[in-house]
Amino acid sequence: MSQEVEETLKRIQSHKGVVGTIVVNNEGIPVKSTLDNTTTVQYAGLMSQLSDKARSVVRDLDPSNDLTFLRVRSKKHEIMVAPDKDFILIVIQNPTD
Amino acid sequence: MLSIQLENVVRRNAENTERIMRNAIGYVVSNNALGTVVQSTFDNSTSGGITKLISGVLVPTARSAVRDLDSTNDLAFLRIATRKFEYLVAPEKEFTIVVMQ
Repeated sequence: MSQEVEETLKRIQSHKGVVGTIVVNNEGIPVKSTLDNTTTVQYAGLMSQLSDKARSVVRDLDPSNDLTFLRVRSKKHEIMVAPDKDFILIVIQNPTD
Repeated sequence: MLSIQLENVVRRNAENTERIMRNAIGYVVSNNALGTVVQSTFDNSTSGGITKLISGVLVPTARSAVRDLDSTNDLAFLRIATRKFEYLVAPEKEFTIVVMQ
């Protein structure tokens, strides 16, 4: 992966409250992660499924519209999903930190 | 019963509701148990679509994903940004509020 990507990930990871970042390819396979293996695989699977579903919902409601970003706020933390053409970026943050 | 509850919530959050609605395109409130539209600023087909797809499909998917990751955790809020606007989703026990802005 290019230097630029590395630097961007490092910048995001250094943000206050960021617990972890995961990059998943369009087959749902994690290609990069700051979290342990089990957690990464779990997040990668569930979040790529969720962003696929969100995209199809957005398009069903308006075929000329498209998903750009997804934020899932839970009682304990917030998961942010940025879906792109070939990869999706998942960032988990703890907003109370 | 539901509408009284809803009115209470709206009254309790009057300031926030007003602030949100200043920038919003509109909103839909859906009944979770019945899957029906309770209140909406949109026409029937738009409200029905949002109720069915966001409150009925996407919220349960997001909730089960959050619980799969940690069974003691729960979904609190969902934001779906799109090219045209953003859906802000507040899933409550009896109803779900979707604001478009």
